[in-house]
Amino acid sequence: MIIDMHTHIWGGRYELHTRELVENCERFGVDKIFVSGIARQYPSAEEIEQHNADVVRFKKEHPDLVEGYVYVNPRNSNAMDVLRRGIEDDGMIGLKLWIATYCDDPLVYPLVEQCIQYDVPILLHAFYKAVGQLDDETTGIHVARLAKRYPEAKLIMAHLGGNCYHGIKAIRGLPNVWTDISGSTFRRDDVDYAVEQLGSDKILFGSDMPGCSYIVNLGQIEEADLTPEQKKDIYANNALKLFRLSL
Amino acid sequence: MNTDVNALLGHWPFRKIRKQSLKDLMQAHKDNHIQCGYASSMNSIFYNDPFEGDLELHEWIRGTNYKHVLTVNPTLPGWEKDIEEGCRTFNIQGVRIYPGYHDYALCSDEVLQLCDILKRYELPLFVTVRLEDERLEYIVKSKPVDLNDVQQFVRMEQDLDIVLLNLRFHEVMRMEKEMIELPRLYFDTSGLKDRVFVLEELLKSSPADKILYGSEYPLYAMKSTIELVQMAQIDEEVKRKIFKENVKRLERRQ
Repeated sequence: MIIDMHTHIWGGRYELHTRELVENCERFGVDKIFVSGIARQYPSAEEIEQHNADVVRFKKEHPDLVEGYVYVNPRNSNAMDVLRRGIEDDGMIGLKLWIATYCDDPLVYPLVEQCIQYDVPILLHAFYKAVGQLDDETTGIHVARLAKRYPEAKLIMAHLGGNCYHGIKAIRGLPNVWTDISGSTFRRDDVDYAVEQLGSDKILFGSDMPGCSYIVNLGQIEEADLTPEQKKDIYANNALKLFRLSL
Repeated sequence: MNTDVNALLGHWPFRKIRKQSLKDLMQAHKDNHIQCGYASSMNSIFYNDPFEGDLELHEWIRGTNYKHVLTVNPTLPGWEKDIEEGCRTFNIQGVRIYPGYHDYALCSDEVLQLCDILKRYELPLFVTVRLEDERLEYIVKSKPVDLNDVQQFVRMEQDLDIVLLNLRFHEVMRMEKEMIELPRLYFDTSGLKDRVFVLEELLKSSPADKILYGSEYPLYAMKSTIELVQMAQIDEEVKRKIFKENVKRLERRQ
């Protein structure tokens, strides 16, 4: 079983991206994808509404395949209501935060507190970059700060934190932080390093489709020095447990 | 023979490489049905005298199927003699350059002089556009290779076999005209990652006979680069070209 817990519909490209996601799942045998809608760094309330509506629509069109994250811009005044509607009304399974604020910005605190109440995980974009770091772009250091402030929160540091040697070192030893391997990095040793540092039960499989190739991440898992059980955990079991899903 | 045009051996100074021996490379190639590779030395990128790394590489790959690709930094003195000696003692099958690490422009006099010599020896030039994702670099930040410079360079050097290593999808798309118009210009598959169905999309505009399989192992996961081709929904004939047919045109002509 394969669960790709990190995919997107980019704003304004619903038809193309949902078609590409479904085609990838059919072609490569992906059983489940977790999807969020994103586009601009600082989306307005209206844009956020459209992104989340796209995910809800996709979920309805492919109920067996698609689960959704509710995407929130913590800077928007209706952020809490967006979260509430996403989880309570639309059946989203987690919160997605991207690059509108650092994840440990005080604006995020009420959202995290509410997610603790809902007992849903929070997927945090995190990417430490040697070049091109954006304002308000979270790194592993921010994730670690948030995790320490809210030990009850279930946090996922996306993309192994970008440069895994930075991100993983930051979150190591924090029991409430998981990480995913999604994103556009090809490196052969990243998965082995992540498993050595965190244990295979903290690693989730994601691709960042359609902006990245699913195959690259599949190849990274297949080539890593993992037991068949560790692969099963990364491909699906860890996500099932974290999100309290059964397939 | 299925061939990998972008194999590396040696030490990478910025992180631990778990599979860096010749034995590891051979095993990865065997597991992925690759029988031959163009190998170059990672040590040579960083050594003050790159040739010392090539002497090591020669010792490692001697007696194997691997073709020795000599690393040249054309801003240093003496590389002409290194090529001469590389041909004589290593039977080199190409020269690889790293303008982003060694800090020069592709259209510089030194590189054009290098091209003249390679034409004389009928050796292909492997141009490393990048090694790592620039965002993940540590300590040493390579200088981005300017794609305008690449376009100008490949048009100036049409009589030389040139392989561009680790181009991204959008960069190949930007070079679409050059790929179509320049019969001796190629690119490898190692950098194709930045969208789904990447090879299928590229083949809508890039000729299949310009694509060579490259792994950039051990920096990259070989399985990722292999499956990008194997799992693509493209003709088996095209896959055969990528893995084994196109590369035959790089073989030394003399």
